[in-house]
Amino acid sequence: MSRFRPSFFIPLIAFLGLAIIGGMALQSTLSGNRNPSQLPSVLIGKAAPDVALPLLQDRQAELALGNFQGQPLLVNFFASWCAPCRAEAPALEQLSEQITIIGIAYKDRRSDTTEFLQQYGNPFTAIGMDIDGRAGIAWGVYGVPETYLIDTAGRIQWRHAGPLTRDVITTQLLPQMAEMQ
Amino acid sequence: MGLTEFGHFALISAFVLSLIQSAVPLYGAARQDMQLMLIGPAAALSAAIASLIAFGALVTAFIRSDFSVALVANHSHSAKPLIYKISGTWGNHEGSLLLWILILMIYGAVLALSGRGMPTHLKARILAVQGMISSGFLAFSLFTSNPFARLADAPMDGKGLNPILQDPGLAIHPPMLYLGYVGLSIAFAFAVAGLISGDVDRLWAKWMRPWIMAAWCALTLGIALGSWWAYYELGWGGWWFWDPVENASLMPWLAATAMLHSAIVVEKRGQLKSWTVLLAILAFSLSLVGTFIVRSGLLTSVHSFASDPARGVFILGILLVAVGVPLLLYAWRGPRLMTIADFNLKSREGALIANNMLLVVATAIVLLGTFYPLGLEMITGARITVGPPYFDATFNPVMGVLTVIMVLGPVMAWRRGATPRIKTTILAAAVAAAISGIVGIALVNDMAIGALAAVMLIGWLAAGIGADIWAQLRPSPQFSLAARWQRLPRDVLGMWIAHFGIVVFLLGATGDGLFRSEQVVRAKPGDVIEIAGREVTLLRVFERQGPNFQALTAELEYRDAASGRFIARLMPEKRVYTAERQTTTEAAIRPRPGGDDYAVLGDGDDRIGYSLRLYYKPLISWIWGGTALMALGGLVAMTGRQRQSAPNNSDVKTTADVKAMARGRA
Repeated sequence: MSRFRPSFFIPLIAFLGLAIIGGMALQSTLSGNRNPSQLPSVLIGKAAPDVALPLLQDRQAELALGNFQGQPLLVNFFASWCAPCRAEAPALEQLSEQITIIGIAYKDRRSDTTEFLQQYGNPFTAIGMDIDGRAGIAWGVYGVPETYLIDTAGRIQWRHAGPLTRDVITTQLLPQMAEMQ
Repeated sequence: MGLTEFGHFALISAFVLSLIQSAVPLYGAARQDMQLMLIGPAAALSAAIASLIAFGALVTAFIRSDFSVALVANHSHSAKPLIYKISGTWGNHEGSLLLWILILMIYGAVLALSGRGMPTHLKARILAVQGMISSGFLAFSLFTSNPFARLADAPMDGKGLNPILQDPGLAIHPPMLYLGYVGLSIAFAFAVAGLISGDVDRLWAKWMRPWIMAAWCALTLGIALGSWWAYYELGWGGWWFWDPVENASLMPWLAATAMLHSAIVVEKRGQLKSWTVLLAILAFSLSLVGTFIVRSGLLTSVHSFASDPARGVFILGILLVAVGVPLLLYAWRGPRLMTIADFNLKSREGALIANNMLLVVATAIVLLGTFYPLGLEMITGARITVGPPYFDATFNPVMGVLTVIMVLGPVMAWRRGATPRIKTTILAAAVAAAISGIVGIALVNDMAIGALAAVMLIGWLAAGIGADIWAQLRPSPQFSLAARWQRLPRDVLGMWIAHFGIVVFLLGATGDGLFRSEQVVRAKPGDVIEIAGREVTLLRVFERQGPNFQALTAELEYRDAASGRFIARLMPEKRVYTAERQTTTEAAIRPRPGGDDYAVLGDGDDRIGYSLRLYYKPLISWIWGGTALMALGGLVAMTGRQRQSAPNNSDVKTTADVKAMARGRA
């Protein structure tokens, strides 16, 4: 009763096709070209949104990123109510020796932000208050902390959602900064 | 030698025993050597004991918080409650792999001990295939993911467990899901053994069916638990997100459901043999994909708490062998299993074939939706996501047609179509469908076509099952109700319960889909929000200290909007777990059969107010009630089989006898 039937090979061929795609995906994940958990930002390569925000120290003055044009910037969204922001504070402190960091306090109170900075250190050259979260929407912030790297022309080059760990800084941020110079 | 090293040693022993189990009985079956074949059960039993020791050693290390073990140091914490120390054992890659192996071994041991009348050569081959699977996974565990690795310097305390996983639902969800996934390995082993020997017959199906049923029940409960967990823990208010990991568990379930039905045709009619074999291979392959998709880091998912692409290579290797080789065997030996198709489309087997086609199409839809983004990215580089709109437009209609057939199949006879029952059943079901459709239109404004179809299907299926029950249990002059109940086969009762579970499930899904209310507001203490006839007052928001977390808690008072009667007090929370520096939302839920009140606290402060999400979700708990009924139906059908299973061939022992029998039946 044994016969050769081409139709019985269909499942095998279909499976091999899927396996090849899986293998390719795995290969590119392993070689570092692809990170499935990295959130793509549509703003990469585009000008950083300029939402006018009141400064922390001076309600009347406004934070304008244009004032910093010509130098690379790190823009960090943080909040006093955010636990991972405390965790990344030392890393920002260190980074502030190499690059100008702008802080944007996201949905926070002035008094809380001030207290937070007193406790965990202030690595920021200027701090804007995004009290109602409008700037967060313009920047496409997923949640705090979130960090953007801006080049000398004011374009967003890199974005990281979540705290800046040593791993992220050494494998992503520092190479990006080196590339810009 | 420490207990951990002893566990490691036991795991190595299990590996050696599995290698023996995979080779010796297979050779014995080919040589028809009884002595060699009997090594299979002995090896399976010893390997199960060895892996039980290994697993026990790991659990002990977690309970004792032995931070010199790398796994414990990375995934546990001394401040954690005992139950989460235990469940932490499988809350990580290495430990859950060990649990997976343990369950595989226990299935093997139960098979070795049970099935007394099962042909020895069949059992030997099945155990050999099981041994091959366990060897592969033991090698995976020992060589790439050793759970017993020690640390040179033990830290003072552990790094803790992902707080989102510290939950009773999640303590039992993975074991239950694995019980389902791994249980499908037995059907897979039956299929491969059948392909090797060429003996796929009605006896083969009779022995296989309870195993399919057991795996299916566990898988059903496992998926339901996962969905329930996502509902109350993730705080998004939904119960199914068409997320890759959820899909990965749904695909083997769909394939297993198809196999559950096609195996009936093999047993009762001796047809659909090669198809059932293919389904068995497919179901287990999909469950392998399901177990390991999360760990390879290939697809993003809300559920991928631990992923490592480096392990993906090993997983892909295992998949290639475990799926590729049986499919090659199927391409080569499958044509032998073909029978001459002599069936009438209007017969029970015709309806079961339609059931199978629809379930396989549904599996393919989910497969496509899950892997299409990955395939597209590999080919064009574009990154897309496939979401609920795709599945609503494709998966739901297919399942709708399946629900229509669910009424027709059981009232049709084998071989020939019409029975006297069929007309009354269809009539009853059609009338009920029409009535529920009219009631639905009257009750809901602008009902979407899909919702209307769902409502009508509920009426159709409920009345169809009811009519079938009435036809089979109705007292007649010869038989009283009690007498008819006595004579009722248990698997028919199981089928009614399981199919009725689908009615209950559909009620829940439709109730939530059609009538749910949602309010997203920013509220300050004292504010009143109105939702679904309730007045919800935000009384206060305060901070509290938990055992290993700090929480921001909102106190909400629910009152009936019309009468002002007090309904409940709900306390949704946002928690910050100090050791892990992670935030979770704890939704407050008041589950009632009529519907759930569901409240989630977001960000905010007293001055600008807190963001609050409030839902009222009618009938939603029926979703899980329905799935529980499905599993119960499976259990009833499975346990009932022993009582009435007395085929004359239960004393068959030797290969020759079985071969002769198979020939006689063919």
